[in-house]
Amino acid sequence: MAAPLFLLAPPRSYTSLMNAMLGQHPQCFGLPELCLFNVERLVDLWVRSTDEMGSEAKTRHGLLRAVAEIYGGEQTMDSVRMANHWCAARQNLSTGQIYRELVDKIDPLIAVEKSPAYTVDIQRLLRIRETFPDARYLHLTRHPVGQCKSVMSLYDGTFALFVNSIDFLEDRAIVEPQFAWYDLNINILNFLDTIPAERQMRIRGEDVMNDPPKFLGMICRWLGIRDDADALDEMMHPERSPFACFGPLDALFGNDPNFLSGPTFRPHKVKVPSLDKPVPWREDGQSLKPEVVELAREFGY
Amino acid sequence: MSDSDTPPLGQRPKLGPIDGKPVTTHPDLSRLSPAQRGLRDALLREFKARKAKKFVEKQVHYINGNRQVAESIKILFDEHGQPPANAPIEDIIEERRQLEYQVRWFEAMLLELQTRLLRVREIEALALDVLERSERE
Repeated sequence: MAAPLFLLAPPRSYTSLMNAMLGQHPQCFGLPELCLFNVERLVDLWVRSTDEMGSEAKTRHGLLRAVAEIYGGEQTMDSVRMANHWCAARQNLSTGQIYRELVDKIDPLIAVEKSPAYTVDIQRLLRIRETFPDARYLHLTRHPVGQCKSVMSLYDGTFALFVNSIDFLEDRAIVEPQFAWYDLNINILNFLDTIPAERQMRIRGEDVMNDPPKFLGMICRWLGIRDDADALDEMMHPERSPFACFGPLDALFGNDPNFLSGPTFRPHKVKVPSLDKPVPWREDGQSLKPEVVELAREFGY
Repeated sequence: MSDSDTPPLGQRPKLGPIDGKPVTTHPDLSRLSPAQRGLRDALLREFKARKAKKFVEKQVHYINGNRQVAESIKILFDEHGQPPANAPIEDIIEERRQLEYQVRWFEAMLLELQTRLLRVREIEALALDVLERSERE
């Protein structure tokens, strides 16, 4: 079984595009966000853990679409219904067993997945290591200002609130996404400390966006797969992925809705903002926290 | 930072004031003062209220059929309720495309609902059959 590749990054760090690009490599298979390692057993994906926030139904869409595509060869309402039955028949298995079954099915292609939800909790990351001791990890970084602005623009910063990225002022609490940027990257770093150096790579998302052939080629060589012009050209078309569009009505998502509605890669130069200026999502003129600046510098910003 | 200050591998400390897992799996609020817990609750309540308000606004927009119809045929009339002398052809084409798209969408929804209804009826009939037979026996 080919060892899978996991993209580790907080959400809104170019993960959808990178996952689809790498997944289009002729020797790879780009999966949607499976979110399998969020929980221990498959049935737990169907169980609501608390009523404090949000809907969890969308977390299943990626898995249902993947099963429909891999086993049914199409993503329709009928094949998604089949995928639901497929899951029901395996509901008491561990999510690791389910994941291995999927990876076995697409072997010899290398499974490529990113579920930013994995980075929320190191236990989730440790489940990956336990299931795939030989997996490889690509730590994808994004400048804190760019990432936080993007988080705040999506559903009023729901994600930041979801992970308790909250700052306390004298008379009120506000959503402060830079805590999430820092803590999720710290989760990743803490986890990667347990992984041999040759099985991990760190790359700045902005660099890939600015010069995809150079950096995608570098990733291919690290993975030991083809880096010829044809392979690289295929990777420049993330929109060709079967998951780079909305799914059928009962499994619409499985990825960032913005990516699903416009998955084509458009060459552009990404500007890297300053680390010292006041951040745009705060009204009190505060800048990035010193710890955030220090970590961003460690990432090369 | 000296070497002795460097945290051991895999144990770098976090920054956020709230530790533990995300809100869906019970965060650790023990480091917060009672006032901060109250502020956090207020923030969550405000967020949920804003979300609910947006949802309702969107639903009202969808279900207000008369207004939608009026909006969609607005370009066909001027302020006196008469057809405009020079309606731009681009607007008319765009309107026609949008209406066709909506019709297709509704047809697909209808088809799916009819299929589901058919299946539910089959299951219902089967269940009633079984019930009737078991009652007779």
